[in-house]
Amino acid sequence: MIATFLRSTALGLTFAGAAWAADPSLDLVGPLSDYKIFVAENTAQLVTDTEALVAAIKAGDVEKAKSLFAPTRTSYERVEPIAELFSDLDVSIDARADDYEKAEKDEAFTGFHRIEYGLWEEKSTEGLDLYADKLLADVTDLDGRINALTFPPEVVVGGAAVLMEEVAATKISGEEDRYSRTDLWDFKANFEGSEKIYTLFRPLIEAGNADFVAKVDGNFKAVDEVLAKYRTPDGGFVSYDELTDSDRTMLSAKVNTLAEDLATLRGKLGLG
Amino acid sequence: MRPYPSRREVLLALGASTLALATHAQEPAPQVSDAPPANAGAAAQRVPFHGIHQAGITTPRPENGIVAAFDVVATSVDDLERMLRLLTDRARLLTQGGPVPDLDPSLPPADSGLLGPIVMPGNLTITVALGASLFENRPWLAGLKPATLQRMAQFPNDALEPGLCHGDLSIQFCANVQDTNLHALRDIVKTCAEFLVLRWMVEGNVPPVIPDAGGATPSARNFLGFRDGSANPDSNDAALMDRVVWTAGPHEPDWAQGGSYQVVRIIRNMVERWDRAPLAEQERIFGRTKMTGAPLDQPGATEHHAPDFTADPEGRVTSHDAHIRLANPRDARSQRNLMLRRPFNYSRGVLKNGQLDQGLLFICYQADLEAGFVAVQNRLNGEPLEEYVKPVGGGYFFALPGVRDDADYLGRALVDAARRT
Repeated sequence: MIATFLRSTALGLTFAGAAWAADPSLDLVGPLSDYKIFVAENTAQLVTDTEALVAAIKAGDVEKAKSLFAPTRTSYERVEPIAELFSDLDVSIDARADDYEKAEKDEAFTGFHRIEYGLWEEKSTEGLDLYADKLLADVTDLDGRINALTFPPEVVVGGAAVLMEEVAATKISGEEDRYSRTDLWDFKANFEGSEKIYTLFRPLIEAGNADFVAKVDGNFKAVDEVLAKYRTPDGGFVSYDELTDSDRTMLSAKVNTLAEDLATLRGKLGLG
Repeated sequence: MRPYPSRREVLLALGASTLALATHAQEPAPQVSDAPPANAGAAAQRVPFHGIHQAGITTPRPENGIVAAFDVVATSVDDLERMLRLLTDRARLLTQGGPVPDLDPSLPPADSGLLGPIVMPGNLTITVALGASLFENRPWLAGLKPATLQRMAQFPNDALEPGLCHGDLSIQFCANVQDTNLHALRDIVKTCAEFLVLRWMVEGNVPPVIPDAGGATPSARNFLGFRDGSANPDSNDAALMDRVVWTAGPHEPDWAQGGSYQVVRIIRNMVERWDRAPLAEQERIFGRTKMTGAPLDQPGATEHHAPDFTADPEGRVTSHDAHIRLANPRDARSQRNLMLRRPFNYSRGVLKNGQLDQGLLFICYQADLEAGFVAVQNRLNGEPLEEYVKPVGGGYFFALPGVRDDADYLGRALVDAARRT
């Protein structure tokens, strides 16, 4: 919308120069730095939580490790679009067995889902030490790299839709956390990450986009309401298998609609 | 006549075409990357969208088709109305064609672009139908379900895959080229994301045949190599279509007059095994000759000659369990079991066992689901053809009445009725 406005203004006045086009980006500075803080908090939390998970694995405590698996992942899932800027780390931290030709038996299969496979399928921490150490080294590396990163605005703003694409492509089918069935945790974290970005930039577009804002707000709320039905008393989520077909359909429609709408956020903010 | 031309004939023909090319030397030689030339007439073909019935049912079947089934997210009459209005707008636009709107390039484009800046109609029809599940768990639609609409049953030979069955809503896309259908499907998936969640979809096509001197073509062949549709009722006979295809009468809700029950069946064909079956057995199973489609009691006739089963009461020529004899016994009683078939062939890669995943995307329309498909399929249960076919999916749907004009929309009468109750 801002871009459209600028373009028409530029065409109408003919003398508008680069300085005009640069102005709106100043508005982005505030939300961008707030988002950077959000990401830094999450990656720091990820390191802390991973340390606890690694400790449980090394202590051979399968049940404790299982209980820490899903909550540890959420910090990663919230900031996935940024984390994925480092594709080498994303692969070793979060790849799934079906990303590999030999699936679970593939030597390159590491990270969260390899640990998940060990804890739930092999019901043991045996042999997981190596993967645990590697995971901790990877998330620590990630935390360091992100702190040194200048956030590209189009990646941050685009991340709101990217997180919905994540849900649509891998979470809605229940294949992300296939051994632990903790997909709803990831689901929730992806939504939180997306909503965070949207909320930070909403003030910049609210004025000319009342219908859009009302629709997106409504869809985030609808998702929250569906997910709330599956909360456990301790703040976690029940198994993905308990998600009913009609709720899955509802979530699917909301995710796809949010993905469609949030895909216009970059354009609305004048980011090509 | 020899079945194949001699080598000499082939060489001569090739020489002739090389000569023909040489005489058109002024035309640039096509490049590898050039698009294959389209037929301008076929691209411009437009099926009227407005009418008392939806298009895509009694209108001629083009070469390509898709059936997509969706789950519907609509928690109120208002939602349903918004969805049906949106679907109508998209279908009207897509089937009639036109330029794609230009948007600010920093936004996602309005259109996938598959068909370029001007969408050519390409003979596209979009036919929308509702499944029984749409009416369930929606108290505001209570009492409005069409009289014989029901969830597709599992027949004895079926091996239904849940991911390929049922749906709240089906959309049948038919067009001259598959890209036109895929473009329309993608448009609807994108624009109706709020209401429609894709459940399954199957693409199919029928092989085109060179018309005879009078412009007529025979029935298309299925993947078993037989002509399919020979005994279809005449789709140009409006009175017959009123009786066989379109719903009418006090047993149907008022809103559901002028619609049609749509049956979709995804019927896998065991083609390797079929190709190893003796020809005589194949013909016995169908009750028709393979090459011409003529009934076995008149092997020199054409596919359109009706078999005379009364002259063969013991089933010596056409076995009692031959497919065409079971499906349509040609007696007075079975007249009420007629339906209009409009299938496509599908090919979906390879099965786990290394066999080809090919079959029939069976689609038929009838005025009464139970008297039509259900009765016929019950007669077919146990037929010898079952050795070679396996229904794996599909669903029963009710194709909505047509959209009368620009102010009307698909299912308006249903929405109005729901508001009254």
